[in-house]
Amino acid sequence: MRAREKYPLLNSFLEGWSIFRQNLLGRIGLVLLIMFALMAICSYIPPWINPMYNPMTGVDPLITSCTPPSWAHWLGTDFMGRDILSQLLAGARVAFMVGISAAVMSIVLGVAIGMTAGYMGRFVDTLLMRLADMIMVMPTLLVVLILSAVFGQLNIWTIVLIIALFRWPGVSRIIRGQTLSLKQRPFIEAAKVAGASHFRIIFQHIMPNVLPLAFLFMTFRVTSAIITEAALAFLGFGDPGTVSWGMMLQWVWKTGHMFKAPYWLLPPGICISLITLSFYMLGRAMDEVLDPRLRKEDQTD
Amino acid sequence: MELRKFIFRRLVQIVIIFFVILTVLFLLFRLAPGDPVSRMVDPDMTPEDAHRLVVQLGLDKPLGVQYLIYLKNFVTGHFGFSFHYGEPVVHIIWNRLPNTILLFTTSIILSALVGVFLGKIASWHKGKKTDSVMTIGALVTHTLFLPWLALIMIWVFAYKFSWFPINGMISEEVWLDPDSGLIAKSLDVMYHMVLPLSTLFLIHFGAYLLIMRSSMLETLKEDYILTARAKGLEERTIRDRHAAPNAALPVVTSVGLSLAFSINGGALTETVFTWPGIGRELVFSVSQNDYPLAQASFLLIAAVVLVSNLVVDVLYAYLDPRIRY
Amino acid sequence: MGLMNQKPKRCSRPWIMMVACASLLFSGILFTGSGAFAGEMLKMGLLEEPKTLNVWRASDTWSRKVLGLLYQPLYVHDPKTLDLVPWLAADLPVFNEKELSYTVKLRPAKWSDGTELTSEDVAFTGNFINEFKVPRYRSKWSFVKKIETPDKHTVKFYLKGPRAIFVPRTLTTPIVQKKEWTARAEAARKTEKPLGTLLNEKIKNPVSSGPFMLKEWRDGAFLFMQKNPHFFGNGQTISGRQLGPYIDGIIFKIFGTSDAAILAIKKGTIDMFWWGIQPGYMEDLRANPEIEMFQNEKSALYYMGFNVRKAPFNDPHLRRAIATLVDEDFIIKRILQGYGIKMYSIIPPGNIFWYCPDVPKYGMGMDREARIKKAFSILRDAGYTWQIAPVEASGNIVKGDGIMLPDGNLMEKFTILTPPADYDPHRAMCGMMMQEWLRMLGVPAYSKPMAFGALLQQVKVRRDFDSFVLGYGRLSLDPDYLRNFFISTNNKPRGWNMSGYNNPEFDRIANESAREMDRDKRQALIWEMQKIIMADVPYIPLYNPKLIEAVRKGRFGGWVQMLGGIGNLWTFCELKPVK
Repeated sequence: MRAREKYPLLNSFLEGWSIFRQNLLGRIGLVLLIMFALMAICSYIPPWINPMYNPMTGVDPLITSCTPPSWAHWLGTDFMGRDILSQLLAGARVAFMVGISAAVMSIVLGVAIGMTAGYMGRFVDTLLMRLADMIMVMPTLLVVLILSAVFGQLNIWTIVLIIALFRWPGVSRIIRGQTLSLKQRPFIEAAKVAGASHFRIIFQHIMPNVLPLAFLFMTFRVTSAIITEAALAFLGFGDPGTVSWGMMLQWVWKTGHMFKAPYWLLPPGICISLITLSFYMLGRAMDEVLDPRLRKEDQTD
Repeated sequence: MELRKFIFRRLVQIVIIFFVILTVLFLLFRLAPGDPVSRMVDPDMTPEDAHRLVVQLGLDKPLGVQYLIYLKNFVTGHFGFSFHYGEPVVHIIWNRLPNTILLFTTSIILSALVGVFLGKIASWHKGKKTDSVMTIGALVTHTLFLPWLALIMIWVFAYKFSWFPINGMISEEVWLDPDSGLIAKSLDVMYHMVLPLSTLFLIHFGAYLLIMRSSMLETLKEDYILTARAKGLEERTIRDRHAAPNAALPVVTSVGLSLAFSINGGALTETVFTWPGIGRELVFSVSQNDYPLAQASFLLIAAVVLVSNLVVDVLYAYLDPRIRY
Repeated sequence: MGLMNQKPKRCSRPWIMMVACASLLFSGILFTGSGAFAGEMLKMGLLEEPKTLNVWRASDTWSRKVLGLLYQPLYVHDPKTLDLVPWLAADLPVFNEKELSYTVKLRPAKWSDGTELTSEDVAFTGNFINEFKVPRYRSKWSFVKKIETPDKHTVKFYLKGPRAIFVPRTLTTPIVQKKEWTARAEAARKTEKPLGTLLNEKIKNPVSSGPFMLKEWRDGAFLFMQKNPHFFGNGQTISGRQLGPYIDGIIFKIFGTSDAAILAIKKGTIDMFWWGIQPGYMEDLRANPEIEMFQNEKSALYYMGFNVRKAPFNDPHLRRAIATLVDEDFIIKRILQGYGIKMYSIIPPGNIFWYCPDVPKYGMGMDREARIKKAFSILRDAGYTWQIAPVEASGNIVKGDGIMLPDGNLMEKFTILTPPADYDPHRAMCGMMMQEWLRMLGVPAYSKPMAFGALLQQVKVRRDFDSFVLGYGRLSLDPDYLRNFFISTNNKPRGWNMSGYNNPEFDRIANESAREMDRDKRQALIWEMQKIIMADVPYIPLYNPKLIEAVRKGRFGGWVQMLGGIGNLWTFCELKPVK
């Protein structure tokens, strides 16, 4: 038990875990997420077995059109004869990459801006929070659309960056709140008295207390990044060199196989919906862990 | 008086934000590597002719001059000519706007009403089967990928069962027939609206349901509910006339907050169902590098978002006596 | 925290509202599709909406299809022979060599508003194009010095110099009505940018000299055209064909996707889909007893282009080797599912008169092994070496690696830009196949799909690329484009010489061909040009897809097959309801 007392972070983590474990939603979400993670990892396997399973350039010597599931192709082939299952697995990889990168980028931005706003207060605070408000209300998808009109083609990393640029307001608000309350705490006062610079106070004292919250909070808000990328790819503005679930839906739609190939139409959509669902469930479970008020009444701490 | 000051302050903020968006758009579009002329050519057009077209379309002046012209045009309502339709952008937008309003507002109202209604019921039966079914149903439908749901709807209801048309807003048989009156035409539009409306509805009502549900649960803990029960009022009355109206307030704010999400969804729905609205026009114009139309559509949507947020805030302040600015 | 007693009873209200809405919505099903109109109306499906009815502005396929039924030219092509046939003109043009003039006599004709179509209209059209320098048509009229109208039915064109394209291209320009455009031109002249103003004119009720006229256009949904009672061809026999039109009108229904259109034709909601059917739908439609399929060739070219300004693509040996590697059989059989023809020259073989059968045909008739060996020998003889040669001393084929240029350096990886897969799966697939074939030879190729607009920017404006796969879906029958694609003066940003080909000998012959008025002499020059280009291969022709179209049986008959499909003027004039 001494370890738990010595490391308060570890303590809260273990506490949180026990609450989390009791939450049905959280469990389901976690299971789904692990499944998708496995899919993403497995995406490297098919092309390694045979180059014809490459999701983008895989050409089956015998098939060049859309065919139903068969032994060689478990989910069938798309209009160019590429394996749909490989595409689905590669899509999982892309989804994680997009989601996590966007989340990380937006956390970095959100934390930096939130801390600055909370610490500096007054004018800087108002300015930054107004900016956050403005960005938060904009429909991300349409903004990325406009940007792709301007820049011609966007590659996947640019898309991720832009999505991140629209997600930081959410984080920054929370962080700002935390910073505001931390600002009044005695140990900050002590640091100030000791002559620490603002910079030092922010990064050495405030940030470590604020960061865990940020990570926990945002990590499960990655869904909007995945959905935005999927919607973008669906409309035809994604990176044509990347196989994502949204791109797969665009192909099935635009090449006119919508009515004829349920084995092509259904899997990507189900995957996007399920991964969204799993992150949402995890997010809700996280909320319960972080905010005691949300916990079920019959659950004691 | 307080409220009026609040509205005024917010309006000023909106104007500033809008101006910023305007300027950003201007810079983005002018400094861009994209170019519409590349999409309007023919093996016979010589480069000189193509350049002449560029000049005629005003893309050759220095940036500063262009900006002033841009602002002037904006204030006087000239949003330029669409590169592709060759018509004034305002005409096109004016044409498309009612279609979007029809579909969009109907879907929001419907999902909000049904969501609130079901959320109320779910909270009342908390912990029981009804509640679980509704909550899970809401969760699942809310996380479905909208374009995919739209495709599925078309596949099942328009293709397999042929109950509804695949896309579009009207049938030419009805609208060309000189004998068909207003009722037939309206019914035709509604007939075409069923699938897109259902798609939007399914995606959105879940969120309202869940918010209403948790809000009700909070409200039911309040003291005045206890008082009402002590007074011996019927459970139903307590639920519907005392708890629900107060619990519904957060739903109002959430309509505003989720507006961005709904607008994205609207654009996607219009595109898949080929519903001739602003969202679809924006997507289309972007793919055609039709600057003026893309810009104007986006500005319009941005304006709508900003104004609706204000409206929602005001509505909330008006409805909830506890809040005062 | 007060009680809000005033709130109305909300319990049953939502239910009532929902039931009411639902019943309204479902009753809509009963009321639609009265179909009283369906009668002798031809119902055509369009994939996209026409952008404009302004004939000067129209650049997209759909606008041009619709406008083609309205504004008629002096001459059109016969569907069988492709020869020029007098249309608005009464006879073939008479050439006066000394004056360098052409005289054209007009048929008696009227516009849809009842006014006569006279030589004034023709002269107005030509002068308008030259005055305002309308981009689409300018290059075809800029050498017309003067247009005279000796009488109401005679037009005389004076040329600045001999120009081969005058008859086939200038005289096939659609003629507009002077009355429709005079006032607009006047107003435009007063503005700062007359051409811009004119291009932005919205034409709501275009006058028509064709078989149909526009009655209604509902944005985003449909266009309705009615029979033009004043059509000059009504009752006439032109080119051995009895012209109508025999149908009362056409309803153009706009579908956003091919899917919806194909479904409509299967259900019988439309009679024809005015767009090519992709091979994926073929089986389905062919098996359907109510649908008839038509196959026609297109005047089109899909090709791989190189940036010959840049090493190593400036080496014709490399280009020839790559041309040898292209397996056209594979492309036709597997990518196009058999619906296409191989292309060995820039000009499609269907263009019988101008196509030169004598061009070098790389890789023809060779199997994969033979192809690799031949390409290998071409490169080896040109000084290329490999880290791992694709062909061993024993003659075995292995996967080559690390090709090195004659100067000893390793060839850098290069990209083959293609349109995205959903825009054109065939071109995207060709790019992918080229990548695989080239890599077999140790050539580091990478196929890269790129958004179409961005692709054109990169290639035409920035001119910063290695190679690409593009195509022209509608090449004119006159081969002047051959000159445009490769003449060195067109090698500039947005110019039509995208590869940067620069050959003074070619330039000389090309310019001569532009001026040569004698058809046979010109043919010899055009053939010569093709031989030069195919020897140097700045473009490798890949394929020419066949155009497959579907119509519904039992409603209309008399579809006229022609290069470019059944959606041509002759069809519209000859189509009859089937009793």
